[in-house]
Amino acid sequence: MKDVTFGQYYPANSFVHKMDARVKILIVIAYIVAVFLVKSFHFLGFCACLAFVIIATILAKVPFSKVLRSIKGILFFIILSAILQIFFNKTGNVLVEWSFIYITDMGLLNAGFIVARITLIVLGASLLTLTTSPVELADGIESLMFPLKFIKFPVHEFALIMSIALRFIPTLLEETDRIIKAQKARGADFESGNLFKRAKALIPVLIPLLIGSFRRADELADAMDARCYAGSKNRTRYKKMKISYRDVLGVILIAGLITGVVFLNQFYIVLAVAL
Amino acid sequence: MQIVTKDLVYTYSPKAKDLSVKALKGVSVTINEGEFFGIVGHTGSGKTTFVQHLNGLIKLEKNSGSVVIGDFDLGNKKCDFKALRAKVGMVFQYPEYQLFAETVKDDVAFGIKNFFPKISEQEGEDMVRSAIEMVGLNYDKIKDKSPFELSGGQKRRVAIAGVIVTRPEVLVLDEPVAGLDPKGKKEFLDLLHYLHGNIVKTVIIVSHDMNIVSEHCTKACIFSGGEIEFVGTPKEIFSRYEKVEELGLELPVTAYLTRALASKGVIIDNDFTVDGFVSAFLESNKKGERL
Amino acid sequence: MAIISLENVTFSYDKRHNVLKDISLSIEKGEYVCVIGHNGSGKSTLAKLFNALIVPDSGSVTVDGFSSADKKSLFEIRKRVGVVFQNPDNQQVASIVEDDVAFGPENVGLPREEIGKRIDFALSAVGMESFKKSSPARLSGGQKQRIAIAGVLALKPDVIVLDESTAMLDPKGRKEVLSVVDKLNKEQAVTVINITHYMEEVVEADKVIVINDGAIVMQGTPQEIFAQKEKLKTIGLEIPLATRIADKLRENGVKLPDGILTEERLAEELCKL
Repeated sequence: MKDVTFGQYYPANSFVHKMDARVKILIVIAYIVAVFLVKSFHFLGFCACLAFVIIATILAKVPFSKVLRSIKGILFFIILSAILQIFFNKTGNVLVEWSFIYITDMGLLNAGFIVARITLIVLGASLLTLTTSPVELADGIESLMFPLKFIKFPVHEFALIMSIALRFIPTLLEETDRIIKAQKARGADFESGNLFKRAKALIPVLIPLLIGSFRRADELADAMDARCYAGSKNRTRYKKMKISYRDVLGVILIAGLITGVVFLNQFYIVLAVAL
Repeated sequence: MQIVTKDLVYTYSPKAKDLSVKALKGVSVTINEGEFFGIVGHTGSGKTTFVQHLNGLIKLEKNSGSVVIGDFDLGNKKCDFKALRAKVGMVFQYPEYQLFAETVKDDVAFGIKNFFPKISEQEGEDMVRSAIEMVGLNYDKIKDKSPFELSGGQKRRVAIAGVIVTRPEVLVLDEPVAGLDPKGKKEFLDLLHYLHGNIVKTVIIVSHDMNIVSEHCTKACIFSGGEIEFVGTPKEIFSRYEKVEELGLELPVTAYLTRALASKGVIIDNDFTVDGFVSAFLESNKKGERL
Repeated sequence: MAIISLENVTFSYDKRHNVLKDISLSIEKGEYVCVIGHNGSGKSTLAKLFNALIVPDSGSVTVDGFSSADKKSLFEIRKRVGVVFQNPDNQQVASIVEDDVAFGPENVGLPREEIGKRIDFALSAVGMESFKKSSPARLSGGQKQRIAIAGVLALKPDVIVLDESTAMLDPKGRKEVLSVVDKLNKEQAVTVINITHYMEEVVEADKVIVINDGAIVMQGTPQEIFAQKEKLKTIGLEIPLATRIADKLRENGVKLPDGILTEERLAEELCKL
């Protein structure tokens, strides 16, 4: 339980790992835009996005299996969207007709389109969490939220909350495990019965966990006060994020991808007209 | 109920190569009924993993050895773990942090509701009353209080009551006196002896404190690196001074003194309890004077 | 010179019953002081008074000339007095050791280069340099407490208060923490206030303060304190096991000198007989 790796950070010393977290977040956002930019039903644009993911994975020294595993979690969601498209899209030419079910060519095409879109987005996003530790991610988000300071949004406090939350996840997981075992030893049964019964069985776990969290919060607050914490006023930061040549290269690559996708969109129209 | 484990093996996260930890590497031990058994070893030696096997909180895998407790064969698929857990009570470290109910009475009754759902209301209450009184608390005064408004020591007693309420034959406690002050420690150990003499047949404690083990246990074993180094009476264990220290453990004060005296040629044969040491020392002193 | 002095301090959490009653004491620079008392005696409340986490209802707490009643001197006091708490899991704010140690220096607004130096200094003082980039969640209890000490040291305090910091540790962890603190006291002249109920930790102290029911009942050297075993017993405290054995032998006519507090000393004396 102690070694639960949350998020799914894959530690390595690679080109992508060394990139600035802020730049990586922005690149992933740009990448998602690129995926959405892919228009109509040619798949060349998707091929370009896939190529981008593959290059990034190689640069990140992350095994492909790790990246692909991220799809597993939302496989159900992908299949569901595909099925909905196949069975409920009534446009286009009917290919199969059986009692009330029609399957059209447009339906199939749309299904493929959606599957490709979701899969590519998930692959790209998982590459971010695989190569960026939760702490860096939190710092990156804080830094990117900087403009919000001007509308009095407590960016610094928000970042601290995120950092503390990340810090306490393993501790609380361990505690949950211990409480579950202790209540099991007193005969608690978490595995049988209907949903309602199971939810009720969790009360003896949740209450001690909640009370424990309050106790921890109280002690942590004292420990922070004792170390001179006084909000963001006059506070300095130890970690500084630096933009390096890697980040510039990353930005160039993503710019290339977006241009490529837009170009391919145009190219397809030209091709269609020519034919 | 006798406890017998044979070649017990356990690995945490066996599939993740880099994260897998062999916590137990073939543990064979027999704990007889009636013992006050001590389990020692430093953190990470496998003792907590071991005791969690004793009531099926960690289930046996195929080819990972056997655990037999009385009539329960824990490797058998038909083993009734619920019945087992009513017979083998388990008290975790800082058990007061597992209290959850609105009243002390309800919290202690939790085990009864789970293990004996068919029992009558009156019978259930009688069991709760006797458990609370067993741990030295006044039932009528405390039953309707919230467990969270009690003092630390009282909370821990309530938590113990919640385990002994099902009348287990074996009581396993992980670091039972951690965090208590000297008086609380003494009172708590007295309580354990009282329970041992009255309702629980076998007590098993996991402890870091060698002085507690030498003073209170009838038998003990040392865990090291997922294996049992040796089993025996505290006298047998702690007289292997070098070995005990080699395993990163401290000697009880009595054993330390006995060794120091032995190195000067004064052999004090004692069982390493404080009284045992003192009387053996006086005995040898007398002889010394007569010579 | 007294680095901390309390004069007639009274404190209550609920304004009704006083947790601390009329406490006066002074801690000298460089001293190693132990505060003992049973659970609920008010000794942890004392720890919070020392660095202005709470202020007295009446009486005064003065740290290096700064009064804790003065809100402006709050951070001056906290910079000088660091506290390490009981639970090793509830003191770290960051998921990486160096970030956690940086927390204090960041709070007081030190420049980045200086923070880096402080981190290296603090981690090497507690012997945890090689864990700079580790996650605290994977460390042992003793190591976590050493990180907590480093977090406090990074502010270069004059005084370190251990508020039952070893209570949740195994013997190995306790030894680690105590030897680190001992070294800081001896080599860096850091004043140490160890609040504990492990009598074995008390024997090396320069001064022992015994608290019962919110009041100071005894003060003196470990020898002086442990000589009064009946008084200690009535307030729920014990004398060290070695002292207890020595007493039992003495009662039975064995001639042993007074003031035996450790097993090493007792062994030495027994071998002389």
